[in-house]
Amino acid sequence: MTEVRIEGLTKIYEEAGNDIVAVDDVDLTIGEDEFVTLVGPSGCGKTTTLRCVAGLNKPTSGTIHFGDRDVTDLPVQERDVALLFQDIALYPHMSVRENMAYGLKIEGFSREERHARVADAAELLQITDQLDKSPAELSGGQQQRVALGRSLVRDPAVFLFDEPMSDLDAKLKAELRPVIEKVTDEIGCPTLYVTHDQEEAMTMSDRVAVINDGTLEQVAPPKEVYEDPASEFVSSFIGQPNTQFFDGRIRAVNGTAELSIGDYQYELAKDGLEGWDGDDIRVGIRPQHIGVSEDPADGIPAEHLLDEPLGDETHSFFDTEFGEVIVVTDPDFEGHNREYGLVLDATYTRLFDADSGVRLA
Amino acid sequence: MSSESKKRGIFGLSYDGEDRVFGALKAVSTAIIVVIGVFPIYWMTQVSFTDYQTVIDTVTVVPTPGIFTLDNYVILLDPAIVRYLFNTTVVAIGTIITVVVVSLVAGYGLSRLSFPQKENFARVLLMGYLFSPIVIGVPLYQIWRSIGLLKTRIGLILALSAISMPFAVWLMWKYIQTIPEAMEESAWVDGASRWRSFRDIVVPQCRPAIIAAALFAFAIAWNDFTFAEILLPTEETTTFAPGILRTINQRQFLPDAQIMAVSLAMTLPPLLFAYFMQSYLLKGFQIRAL
Repeated sequence: MTEVRIEGLTKIYEEAGNDIVAVDDVDLTIGEDEFVTLVGPSGCGKTTTLRCVAGLNKPTSGTIHFGDRDVTDLPVQERDVALLFQDIALYPHMSVRENMAYGLKIEGFSREERHARVADAAELLQITDQLDKSPAELSGGQQQRVALGRSLVRDPAVFLFDEPMSDLDAKLKAELRPVIEKVTDEIGCPTLYVTHDQEEAMTMSDRVAVINDGTLEQVAPPKEVYEDPASEFVSSFIGQPNTQFFDGRIRAVNGTAELSIGDYQYELAKDGLEGWDGDDIRVGIRPQHIGVSEDPADGIPAEHLLDEPLGDETHSFFDTEFGEVIVVTDPDFEGHNREYGLVLDATYTRLFDADSGVRLA
Repeated sequence: MSSESKKRGIFGLSYDGEDRVFGALKAVSTAIIVVIGVFPIYWMTQVSFTDYQTVIDTVTVVPTPGIFTLDNYVILLDPAIVRYLFNTTVVAIGTIITVVVVSLVAGYGLSRLSFPQKENFARVLLMGYLFSPIVIGVPLYQIWRSIGLLKTRIGLILALSAISMPFAVWLMWKYIQTIPEAMEESAWVDGASRWRSFRDIVVPQCRPAIIAAALFAFAIAWNDFTFAEILLPTEETTTFAPGILRTINQRQFLPDAQIMAVSLAMTLPPLLFAYFMQSYLLKGFQIRAL
């Protein structure tokens, strides 16, 4: 099988005389049967990257290889990729069966072969009883299954997904995720999955590639991206609720580093901070690791704003001198708009350069 | 609720009053349509089924059994009339095919490809509406004469296609824009060429627009008088509309009843065409932003 190698991929759009850099020097390799998710906010260049890999857009510079094959200049028809679109794009004038068989028809398979393959795929996707319907009669989830089936029957060299689930509701998404994983496992080819939904990225991928402003910020397994973010952006983008940030300053005291946030000091048992003595930094911490103390003098003083009870936990909003802070609290917690102190667990703080957002420790 | 609070309609009346006013207005507009639009068709129909001598002598309202006849339709077998009908049919079909094929390709290009001055091109296209056939007809007469298209059906087909084209291209352009590009891209990913995806994916979905454009072209071609009169000046190749006028002028005696019979025969095809295609037609005209 093949692996996908993207090297130095850059795409510049010209619009009204201005050059807009959509993708800036992206390097990414997707292993033989690896599932890589490209995740980022809208307009970050993730779809452009995917369309370049598919051959629907032509990169301004850089190369794309499928195994030994340089496909950079190949048209989409000759790349042997499968692509699932956000708007599903089933052909409304064909039945579900014809939709699924269309690719095989173009490749010149016999009628029997086409129907046999479609029947196999339909069984895997549990849509056998839908084959004679027209796409308009199917629900959104079933339509996406058909679109999956259309790709499945062709046994492509590379599988691409362009936000296929962003039009579906949360329940259907959760239902479809295992189906997508089953299908990509079945085909066993490199998969590039583009989404803006960090939950999809975390749950399905072997590796997550976080992209922002056309530049890759971090490529790592989901757990690593969550626990060891390479930049402030990655830390803020991955995880629900979002990482909370504070402005701080580092001082070297007796061989260890001391972190001060406003008037509050923390001992940091972290190495590699020697060079940052006296510098302004950004401190990020997940809301799960912020403690709420009844004593406002303990930690960062905060005024309770409101609670969002979710059943198994509560998201509590506090007003501090650093702006609004969200804390994950006990399900029984009720703040009643009183004054509290927010205590940060120093072992879970992540420090970032105040200007570049690059991770320090 | 008091009836005062209901006086919010267009005419400031109560809802019941408004209903009555609307009902009356509807009756009036229906009457206007019937008198101006339907009465001539009724008159044409009843006269065509009435014995021609009776039509000359008296005014009849309904072809009663005594005076009812199909004899007037014998004129449809007259060699000259047959030739006119045949020519009209050939020209209409030729125009439909030309208009549909060209507008599909042009509409696809406008909606899917980018080329310099695209918006201006579309605007200029619409200006084709500003020229009536008689304005284009005279220069076309000279051009067709010098390149040998005068007195040919092809020449008339081209002229009629040209005046149908602005609408048809515009319709097709807007219609193809409603088909998501992802559908075609999906076909390309499956290995289909651009031509193949156009044929397999775009054209079948354009059926309502194709039918609307075809009907429009058919109506233009079938009812055309000016172009046919100018560009087909000889008896052999002319179409029905100028042909029947020449027949009336040339023949010593052509009874009204027979003229009506021919006219009705000419009216039926567009009526039937529009009637059976109306559901498609509505879809074709339903696109927003048209």
